Amino acid sequence: MGEFFNVFIKAAFVENLVLAYFLGMCSYLAVSKSVKTAFGLGLAVIFVLGITMPINWLINEHLLSEGGIFGMDLTFLRFILFIAVIASMVQLVEMVVEKYSPSLYAALGIFLPLITVNCAILGGSLFMVSREYTLSNSIAFGLGGGFGWFLAIIAIAAIREKMKYSNVPGPLRGLGMAFILTGLMGIAFMSLLGIDPAAFASN
Amino acid sequence: MKNALINFFKKIEPDKKKAPFLHTAYDAFFTFAFTPNATTVNGVHIRDGMDLKRTMVMVVLAMQLCYLLGTYNIGHQHFLALGEHGGLLQGFHLKLFYGLIQLLPIFVVTHVVGLGIEFYYAYRKGHSVEEGFLVSGALIPLIMPPDIPLWILALSVAFAVIIGKEAFGGTGMNILNIALLARVFVFFAYPTEISGDEVWVSGLSKAEAGAAVTYGWAHLSFLNGIFESLGWATYNAAAVVADGYTGATPLSLAYQGGWENVTRVYSEGQMLWGLIPGSIGETSKPLILVGALILVGTGIASWRIMLSMFLGAVTMSLLLNAWGATPFMEVPWYYQFYMGSFFFAMAFMATDPVTASSTNVGKWIYGFLIGFVGMIIRVLNPAYPEGWMLAILFLNVFAPLIDNYVVEANMKRRAKRAKMLAANQSA
Repeated sequence: MGEFFNVFIKAAFVENLVLAYFLGMCSYLAVSKSVKTAFGLGLAVIFVLGITMPINWLINEHLLSEGGIFGMDLTFLRFILFIAVIASMVQLVEMVVEKYSPSLYAALGIFLPLITVNCAILGGSLFMVSREYTLSNSIAFGLGGGFGWFLAIIAIAAIREKMKYSNVPGPLRGLGMAFILTGLMGIAFMSLLGIDPAAFASN
Repeated sequence: MKNALINFFKKIEPDKKKAPFLHTAYDAFFTFAFTPNATTVNGVHIRDGMDLKRTMVMVVLAMQLCYLLGTYNIGHQHFLALGEHGGLLQGFHLKLFYGLIQLLPIFVVTHVVGLGIEFYYAYRKGHSVEEGFLVSGALIPLIMPPDIPLWILALSVAFAVIIGKEAFGGTGMNILNIALLARVFVFFAYPTEISGDEVWVSGLSKAEAGAAVTYGWAHLSFLNGIFESLGWATYNAAAVVADGYTGATPLSLAYQGGWENVTRVYSEGQMLWGLIPGSIGETSKPLILVGALILVGTGIASWRIMLSMFLGAVTMSLLLNAWGATPFMEVPWYYQFYMGSFFFAMAFMATDPVTASSTNVGKWIYGFLIGFVGMIIRVLNPAYPEGWMLAILFLNVFAPLIDNYVVEANMKRRAKRAKMLAANQSA
């Protein structure tokens, strides 16, 4: 339980996917114009990350590795299978959103299906492999990483909503300002960089 | 007297068309000295004599005590390291002039760079100069170490003003606190200049026994000449750092060995009154609280943020006490406030009305989280010695979000109430 919590906190705050690794930038920049849509997309990302990570973990461990069902090293199939899982999950989310919140569906537009190629999600799965997480850790990392992404996108969305009234110099309006903002938010998030929850838990 | 001053100002007013840049600069100083009495021609407007410039000046005034003690403390720490003039009033003139010679260039560079950029942008945009830099410019020298190289200072101020403010559309539009952005720039770009045990005491080549001390020409030739002729103590060019001196700040001592390790070097009184190494203006708690009272009394700073920030820090330190895994965590919660820059951050940084939450409920949440996160960074993060700068920047990012949800909740509650009223009336 302690370790689950550590991985969650670390993924959400200390090593935030957007602000520490700069993953998942395209939808982060494109959908962060209003808090409402950002909130919806953030939830979708939490869901997709939280579901795909354990599924991918199972696939990686029981199908692709040498100790798996097929008994041979199939890790070269990793990318394609991970993407397939992510795509199907995104399809699921898309159907749910379309059914229950058509307005959000319309607002998110192409960016909802594009979660499939959101690098934060594939990145999460690949981090899981390279860091040799256990199943519970990968669930924690999925939820935590998703939560961190969610926090980052609603924070920038609130700032951009507030900035509608500012007199930003012409060339910086829109995307330029979003990049500067992301950089500054990255500085702010560096405050937590370096904290290792595990170091204290062991004492 | 006042009229003479106005007449003088009117006489030297440059022509707006012929010399626009000069006029911008002139206008900035004129409105600084006098509230402009220009009125709008159409419609009804309510104007208050307490305009933005007057508000800003109030904040700057509230900081003056910190400046005074900061100046003295630069010199005091310097001579303590040498083992000379240990008493509070011994060598007072030496300490004061030493502090002044350190502080003045920092102050001047901050203002020349920051105001220069402000003037230039105002001129380019065809506006009158915005007053935003008055407070940032007064704050930045107070949060820098006394030995900061001036070119780094200039760079950080330029970064903060251009990227942090002008890109966002000028005064009142910035998301992150300008002064803290300048400091955080130094902190991440030139970490050796602003962290560790060596940088907080001015003028030492190294913080260990026997290290040489550098005095400039101004001390040795100019001031020494004057002091000698008056029969006062003079700067000793051959002085070296005293035995047993480490320059460690209370926070780094506490990190190594808890509160006992701190009290071995510094007494509680020293820490309270601020005669300890640290950033120039952050050390003295009572003097900062006087400033905080001025700000709260004039209604400029929000007492909600201050109080909730304090509560947040207390809560977190109590939790850490209960956890108690390292000596630093076991420092009793009330002693946490003797060390570091908590009060300075609380009084002058967190309450910045531009970057803080603007709803009342939002202010409680915002302040509490700063206290909470700041204590986490201070105690749990081995990478950073102190947490408030980063905690405030962290919450600056979330302040608009907090406001957004507070406003939304309020709207929901009112809609519900309206619905109930309507239902009651129809029933």
